[in-house]
Parts: sequence; structure tokens; C-alpha cells
Amino acid sequence: MVEFVLTLSRVLAAFSRLVLWMAGAGLVAMTAFIGMQVWGRFVLNDTPTWTETSSILLMGWVIFLGAAVGIREGNHLSFDVLLYVLPQRVVRVCHYISDFVVIAFGTGMIAYGWQLADTTWSTTIPNLGITGATSFFSLIFGGVLMILFSVERLLRRAVGLPTARFGEDAIED
Amino acid sequence: MELIVLFGTFTGLLLIGAPVALCLGAASFATVAYIGLPPVVVFQRLNSGISVFALLAIPFFIYAGELMVRGDIARRLVALAGAAVGHLRGGLGQVNITASVLFGGISGSAAADASAIGGLMIPQMEKRGYGRDYAVNITVVSSIIALMLPPSHNLIIYSISAGGRISIADLFTAGIVPGLLLALALMIVAWFVAKKRGYSTEPFPGARAVVGLLFSALPGLILIAIIFGGVRSGVFTASESSGIAVIYAIVVTILVYRSLPWNEFVAATMSAVRTSSMVLLVIGSAAAFGWLLAYLKVPAELVIWMKGISDNPLVILLMLNIMLLMLGTFMDMSPLIVITTPIFLPVAMAYGIDPVQFGIILILNLGIGLCTPPVGAVLFVGCAVGKVRISQVIKTIWPFYLAAIAVLMLVTYVPAVSLWLPSMFG
Amino acid sequence: SACEITLKSSDTHPEGYPTVAAVQHMGELLKERSDGRICVDVFHSAQLGEEKDTIEQTQLGVIDLNRVSLGPFNNIIEETKVFSLPYIFRGTDHMHKVVDGEIGDAILGEFSNHGLVGLAYYDGGSRSFYNSKKPITSIEDIEGLKFRVMQSDVFVDMVSALGGNATPLPYGEVYSSIQTGVIDGAENNWPSFESSGHYEVAGHYTLDQHLIVPEVLVMSKKSWDSLSAEDQNLIREAAKDSVPVMRELWEAREKASEAKVREAGVQIVEDIDKTPFIEAMDPVYEKHVTSDKLKDLVQQIRAVE
Ligand code: NA
Ligand code: NA
Repeated sequence: MVEFVLTLSRVLAAFSRLVLWMAGAGLVAMTAFIGMQVWGRFVLNDTPTWTETSSILLMGWVIFLGAAVGIREGNHLSFDVLLYVLPQRVVRVCHYISDFVVIAFGTGMIAYGWQLADTTWSTTIPNLGITGATSFFSLIFGGVLMILFSVERLLRRAVGLPTARFGEDAIED
Repeated sequence: MELIVLFGTFTGLLLIGAPVALCLGAASFATVAYIGLPPVVVFQRLNSGISVFALLAIPFFIYAGELMVRGDIARRLVALAGAAVGHLRGGLGQVNITASVLFGGISGSAAADASAIGGLMIPQMEKRGYGRDYAVNITVVSSIIALMLPPSHNLIIYSISAGGRISIADLFTAGIVPGLLLALALMIVAWFVAKKRGYSTEPFPGARAVVGLLFSALPGLILIAIIFGGVRSGVFTASESSGIAVIYAIVVTILVYRSLPWNEFVAATMSAVRTSSMVLLVIGSAAAFGWLLAYLKVPAELVIWMKGISDNPLVILLMLNIMLLMLGTFMDMSPLIVITTPIFLPVAMAYGIDPVQFGIILILNLGIGLCTPPVGAVLFVGCAVGKVRISQVIKTIWPFYLAAIAVLMLVTYVPAVSLWLPSMFG
Repeated sequence: SACEITLKSSDTHPEGYPTVAAVQHMGELLKERSDGRICVDVFHSAQLGEEKDTIEQTQLGVIDLNRVSLGPFNNIIEETKVFSLPYIFRGTDHMHKVVDGEIGDAILGEFSNHGLVGLAYYDGGSRSFYNSKKPITSIEDIEGLKFRVMQSDVFVDMVSALGGNATPLPYGEVYSSIQTGVIDGAENNWPSFESSGHYEVAGHYTLDQHLIVPEVLVMSKKSWDSLSAEDQNLIREAAKDSVPVMRELWEAREKASEAKVREAGVQIVEDIDKTPFIEAMDPVYEKHVTSDKLKDLVQQIRAVE
């Protein structure tokens, strides 16, 4: 079982690096878009009208992809004061609950993101001409990743492997 | 009852150590389900809460800060500050504060400031015989300066939380005098504490050396000039300036100085993604939380309650300050801005307080909260960088808290402190 | 006061704005006529979100009533596009005749296919160009000027067709952007030109009235269906009766804003030959009036005397 979880972790580690690279590429592209917007307006006196909306869409991807990786790496800000005084057994239960809350919320992101995409399918985003449902794709995909990485945390804890939390060093493997 | 579900779920999840963003989101989810509203509205608010153009400034400024630290721009700024004020009593403490003014003006993030300047200054200060607690105290409290000086992404969050109708340019300008006052107050306290502890000073390296370091620090100083000049002369807007800062930092560190190798560039990008996605997820979830507060008419009820206690604006302001300080002690800045602005701004405005001034009061208040236990991101960062226990820092940090609170009172009760400079530009 | 039914209503404008006051007035009428059973609670100042979001919330039944511009509906209900075409109305009276007549009723009816009930049209004023550079007295003056527009294809195409540089920008950034010169101007109606303070930085206002877009008061179909036919009638009547009050309030507000702007010394260009402006719109109509339904509606609106 431990062997299986370790293998899964190695696969997910590679996968989360890929996700992080995608988000990083998104951040670089956003930077380029803003540069083009300023250049177009100030130098060419012809403002590109697609840059604002595209940057916002890209930011959605950066946030939800980065936040999902943050679940795996334990980057998210959390409140540990009570956990310091509780016995280890209870702390473990708290960690389990916390992971289940993330899974529940991730499920909501998928289900309700899907519903939002569905109701906005026939609308179009001004100046881009693509379907309004596009705004919700990053929400749905982020939900899938959050569930995936939370399940990994649950499995690791179940077999006695460490899981990363805010304020601690990253787990290497 | 709805409010009990909302705050109860939030506090419960917070206590068991769930990520703050998820506490906000899940509490909203539970409350919406309890009222019988379609839960999809929570996810709509989450998505629209982050689909805001002005929010782009947050990932961009964090990214620019990362590039500058890894691309050697931040270190040059610290060296300049060292040469310029290192000879004053409490020398390296004064350097630390001055570096916060210089670097804070660029990063706009207290946590980034504390980790960058703390990482550079605390080891040096320790080497020269300063107490580690003293070094951390100064690093932590002076990083609030970054929140006040432009470009502060927290002021952008405030403007958005207020409905996007408060000029970001005015807010940026309004923060300058209070930010510099805070620097001055901290320098005075640093001077007294250093004198009492008998810390030595650094020799003044001479005007020639300062000029040399000034040249070396030019890329950092030019960035400040570009951001200010660009916004004021109409080349780009305040929120676009953040993207320009990133482009500038990339051009200078990679092309001009070649001080940023490819792997460091990748590391800076990834680090910016990690930090900004964490901050923005909190903002998105807080948008859902804030929507529920509005839907349940909390702001309106709160105004009525406060009006019942007193109708003296000075008393109301004092109450607001105390409430914000307490909230800031338990929660982080960005969610608090998003949650409290819709509640407190109408109250403040009902008593004739200018929304720009209130923004500065709010940021300074919550900034102090970032440095206080039990939850203070900046305090954590400072202690982590300085490798000091929180309890040890708390024992000696109070004179610096007092200086910050004195400036807070000044900003609260003297509107001109924040409003005079914007009126000069208006 | 124990209201059996409290209808939550959303508006992006602040307390005291004509649209907010009109819906509050409608609430008073309803309360009176239902013997205190039905009340309206207006959430003003975009407390519940921007228009695009509150429309979705209304469709979901989270919000009962919603006062919104027609713009956000253009990508949802095709027919509403005609009201957002530049220079489609000759003036406010023409617009009133159209929305009060058969065409207006037919388009209000279309909302029921999208989870909404169209209750009434409100005034949104007429939008004109303002800028910080020069008085615009002819179409040539627009050449090369940067105008802020909303995120809308029609707005972008209209400004481009007039020779300007259409620049989408968030509303909150417009004031400082005109002040610093990021853009040269924007376009809006009297009340917004005044309340946003844009007149302080843009000293030239040309009344070309390129857009006279009515606004709508809609109700959630979910909330609507949960009411008795009798209550539905009360609501429909109260909404209709709030329209003349709204128009009166709007006119008063427009006059007050105009007086304030004039007093500040803004240069107003009133008599302008609109013919070249209207002629320049041919490509815009060609691009956006594509279906036979829309072409027919344009003909019908133009035929209204
Ligand atoms: Na700053
Ligand atoms: Na704190």
C-alpha cells in the first residue's frame, strides 16, 4: 500500500510541476498582453480590444491551477493555534476533516462550474467572440485538481506518510 | 440564525486548520444551502470575484517583487540605504526601515518586504551585534510601510471592494505621507531602543561611496520613477503599471544586467504563481462571503447598531479602529479588506469620513494586525526568516507597535495627513 | 410591518438615483395595494454584484426583481440588440413611443424564454461623447481621439466607424485616465457625466445622442411562478405605474446634472449635424443587424413616427 501511494505521489509530483508550468506560462502571457495593450494604445493609437478580457480569463487559470498545486504543497494560509494544544490523535482527525472540506468544495467547483458553463453556453464574450462558458472552464478544471491532490493527501496520511501544511517545509518526492 | 451558520462554520473550519480560502467558501456554501438558495451562486461569486481587471495588479506586483529579489535589484537598494543612513544611532535598524521605504514602494506587499529585507538584513544585523529580536521587530513592523506606499495592491483591493468607484491614483497618493510618517516614527523608536541597548553605529562611507551605490541601485530607483511617472503622465493606468513593472524587471535583470539566470527566472515565476494564487483564491472566496453579508443585510444592521451607541464621529472612528485591530489580529489582510469594506465604509461615510482617508485608516489598521499574534502573516515570516520564537519577539516589539498606533491615531483624527497630498494633484 | 412576501431587488446605482427611487416607489404602491402583504427591498450600489451577475442570480431566483441596462442582455436575447444600435432612435420621444407600443411589448415578452419576466422599461438617458481635448463639432474632430468604451462589440465598432480609437477600460479608471491623458474622453448621459466627476476633467461635451438605450425592470420567473395570479397582476400594475414617476425623476435628475455641469464651465456643443455620424454607421449595422428578425425590427422602429 505504501509502495502504491509513493508511486502515485511521484506521478502526481510530476503532474503538479506540469500544472505549475502551465500557470507560470499563463502569468508570462498575461504580462505580454498588458504590454501589448499599453503599446497599442500609447504608441500605435490603436488599442487592442481583446487584451483586457483575455488577461482576466488567463488570471482565472493561473489562480485555480496555482491554488490546486497549493493544496498539494500546503501553501494555503491556515490557522494552527488550536492544533498546537490538541492531542495528536485529534489533530489527525482535524486534518482529515480539512481535506474532506477541500474535496467537497472541489466537487462544488466542478458541479456548479458545469451548471454555470451550461447556462452561459449560448452567450458570447464581448470583443472575443467566444462562448461565455469559457469563463468557467478554469473553475471546473481547478476543482478536478483540488480533489485529486486532496485524495493524495488522504492516502498519504492513511499510510503514515507526511503531508505539507502552511508554514512548514515542502515535502520532497 | 443564518449568521450563526455563516460565522459558526467559518470559525469552526478555521480552528481545525482548514485553508482560510476554503473556510470562507465552505461557510458561504453551508449558509446558502441553509437558507435554501441555489448553491451555484457561491461559485458564481467566486468566479466573478477574481474576474476583475484591477486585480491583475496583485500577481504582477508579486511577480515583479520576486524578479527584483532574485535579480539582485533588491540587494542594491539595501546597500544604498546602508550607506545613506547607516551612521545614525541604531544604524542597521535605520537601514532596515529605509530599505522598506525604497523596496516597499515597489513590492507593495508586506510579506514580500519582510522576507526580502529580513533575509538580507537580519543576518547582517546579528553579525554586527544587534539582538535578533530587535532585528525582527524592525523588519516586521517597518514592512507595514510597504502597504502604505504606492503601488500597494491592498489599496487596489480596497478600491474594488468599495465598488471600484474610488480613484486608485488618489489612494496611492494618499498613502505617501502616512507611510513616510510611519517610517519616521519607527526610526525614532529604533534610535531610542538602540541607545538604551548601547548598539554601535556604522561609519559613514563618504559621499563618493553613496553616489557609487546610488548608481548601482539605479535600476530599482528608475522602476519607482517609471511607475510614478508613467501613471501620472498618462502612459498607462495604475493597474497597468503593475504589468509594466514586471516587463521592466525582466528587461533589466535578464537583458541589461544579466543578473537573472533562466532557472532563477523560472523559480521567480513559480513562486509568484504560488503566492498570488493563494491570495487571489482568498479574495474570490471572500467575494462569496461578502455577497452573503450584503444579502443578509449585515452592513445596514451594523450601521444602525453603531448609530445607537453614539453619534459622535470621533467615537465611531475609535470603535471602528478597535474593531479592525481585533479582526486584524485573527485574520489576514486581503480577506479582511474584502469582507470589512462593504460593512465599515458606509458607516464611515455616514459620518462624513472621506472614503480615501478611510482606505488608509483601514490598511494601516489591518497592517498592524499582520504583525500581531495569533495570526500575523508578516510576524510569521519575520520570525521564520530571523529564526526567533514568536513569544521572544512579542516581549520587545511593543515600542514599535506604539509608534504604529500613534501614526494610526494621527491618520484617523487628522484628515489632512492622508488627504492633503491627493488634493495637491487633484 | 409584517410583510408576507419581501421581494429583493437589485440595482447598481446608489441610493437616491432615479432608478432606485422608482423601484422603491413601486414597492410603496405594492404595499399599499396589497394591504401590506407585499414589500420590495432594494439592494442598491451593486451590493449583490454587477449587472451580468445579478441577471444570472435573477434567473436562478436568488433575486426577485432587477433593474438592469439592456446592454448585458444583447448577448442573451437577440431582439434586445436593436435598442443598443447607434442612432436607432431620433430622440427620447421616439424611444418612448417605441417601448410603450407593440415593439416594446413584444421584446419584453422575449424575456420569458430566459427565466425572466419583463415588467417595464425605464429611461437610461441619451449617451453622448465628452473629451478633454477639443469641442467636437463634426465627425472629423473625432479622428484619432481615444474614447473609453464599455466591453461591447457594438460600442467598439461604433467608435472605430467614427474614426476614434475605441479603448475598453474599467469604469472606475476613467476619471484618472482622462486626467492623466491615458484616454481623451468617454461617452455617457448627463447624470453619469456629472456624478462620476468626469466633467471636471473632460471639458467638452457634444450632444450627438448616439445611444438612447432604455433600461428594464425584470422579475425572476421562479419568484413570479410562486405567486398567485392576483399578486402577479398587482406587481405588473405597480411596475407599469412606476414608469411615469421614473420618467419624471429622470428628467429632474438630468436637468440638475446638466445645470451643475454647465455651471462648472463645460463647453457644450448642442447643434450638431448628425447626418454624417448616422451615415458612418452603415458598416456597424451591416455587421450587427444580420438576421431577418433584426432587420425587420430596425425597419419597424424607424417607421414609428
Ligand atoms: Na507599496
Ligand atoms: Na495579525
